Amino acid sequence: MRPILFALSLSAALAAPAAPAASIDLPPETALFKPSTLPGYALVQRNCMLCHSVHYIQSQPPQLPRAYWEATVKKMKKPFGAPFPESEMADMVDYLVKTYGAERPPASGAK
Amino acid sequence: LGGTALTALAAAPGRIVLPFENGERELVAYPQKRPLILLTARPPQLETPFAIFDQGDITPNDAFFVRYHWSGIPTSIDLNTYRLNVGGNVNQPLTLTLDELKQLGQPVEVVAVNQCSGNSRALLAPRVGGGQLGNGAMGNARWTGIPLKTVLEKAGIKAGSVQVSFNGLDTPPLGDGPDFVKALSVDQAMDGEVLLAWQMNGADLPVLNGYPLRLVVPGHYGTYWVKHLSDITVLDKPFDGFWMNPAYRIPDNAGASATPGVAPAKTVPISRFNVRSFITSVADGAQVAKGRPLEVRGIAFDGGYGITEVAFSADGGRNWQAARLGKDLGRYSFRRWSIAFTPPRKGAYELKVRAVNRIGQSQPMDPLWNPAGYMRNVVESTHIVAV
Ligand code: HEC
Repeated sequence: MRPILFALSLSAALAAPAAPAASIDLPPETALFKPSTLPGYALVQRNCMLCHSVHYIQSQPPQLPRAYWEATVKKMKKPFGAPFPESEMADMVDYLVKTYGAERPPASGAK
Repeated sequence: LGGTALTALAAAPGRIVLPFENGERELVAYPQKRPLILLTARPPQLETPFAIFDQGDITPNDAFFVRYHWSGIPTSIDLNTYRLNVGGNVNQPLTLTLDELKQLGQPVEVVAVNQCSGNSRALLAPRVGGGQLGNGAMGNARWTGIPLKTVLEKAGIKAGSVQVSFNGLDTPPLGDGPDFVKALSVDQAMDGEVLLAWQMNGADLPVLNGYPLRLVVPGHYGTYWVKHLSDITVLDKPFDGFWMNPAYRIPDNAGASATPGVAPAKTVPISRFNVRSFITSVADGAQVAKGRPLEVRGIAFDGGYGITEVAFSADGGRNWQAARLGKDLGRYSFRRWSIAFTPPRKGAYELKVRAVNRIGQSQPMDPLWNPAGYMRNVVESTHIVAV
């Protein structure tokens, strides 16, 4: 670590007020849950896109077992504070492990 | 208020396949970024395409990886209203504009690697849940700022203080989840090396890398490099928020390793990088010409002792040769290395690279594993074929 030449720090300080703000527009989000006839499909759409995109779910390793999805859904509720009722957890876990995890039907392959 | 709108370019219709199951990703251009590997859109989490690491010691700002925890991220920041608050167990709480902060002392700079704790997580076997990253959640930049110590001295740390916590402008989008807050010991906060940085590579921080100010903790995992820094709080007892405990913990042993299925007996907060090295000039699966000299190049880095030796093997680790080290940009920087290799015959070669730092730490030949998928640093293999 070394001090910068004084001239540089002075010119940086003088230049600073020129751009007093920055703002960005984020690109649109396109990822969606995979359609399914399982009852959990409607629930995850309502409960699991409140804080983050579906990417979090669809990028997980396909071999993760039911225990992983149970623990993850629980973690979203506590401590992360997801507002869904406990009663909806079992159906969501069932959809998740059968769509993205170890209990996918063999024919559908890995995504 | 005269803000610059930095609108995203239309996303290139590119895709990339990372070398693990379920590794297909989109390449998307976020504001102030070239197309990068999209891990998650909300919050934005972007990984650097690996080929960029071959282009130089410094990772360009528009290619630098992005990691967030909560999607309540600041997308519009006005320096007229932005303040850095320094408080808690201090004699003189401070509320500073960015300009006032810049006037507190001489700016300093350091070239330092930032690396996500979970960089390379998706390469673990067995796989673990979490952000499924390849090797691109790292980057090397020249950071400009003032030492955290200068600001803490100005505020005056009271006797009996043990830690300092750091909060940024990002927040949970709803509910009562734990805000992303991290802590360092007072000793580390006062070591003179931790910076409050407003520039990387000579330009303002890109918004997604923490504009207008971020913590730079050289040699330490990115989890401590709090972005959009707004609050520094001196504490008289250890901070125990979620993101220090139970998150970001590693098994308390030399290799930070555990056996799959067996919970580690004791954990500690993740801290310094271990030693890593990569081949950047030739990709796994590449075809090269038999008998034609090839320059094999790459990068190596560690937690701040400095890389002193890089060894290269073209036969899967049976024989090793010393590579030539490139320019030394400081002990926290990527260190470039190169070696000439001429494949003597047709067929398959397994190239390996292994680095050693100033205190003799190196990399394991077989991968270590832990449940959160942190700190992978196995000696990597690059398989090529000479034709
Ligand atoms: C109240 C906010 C909130 C809600 C609602 C929420 N999550 Fe999350 N989720 C998070 C946060 C925060 C993280 C990221 C943690 C990190 O960055 O380390 C996360 C991460 C994840 C991950 C990545 C793996 C991991 O452990 O980091 C998965 C998978 C996931 N969530 C699934 C779900 C599912 C399934 C639901 C609905 C049943 C859901 N989330 C609803 C906050 C939420």
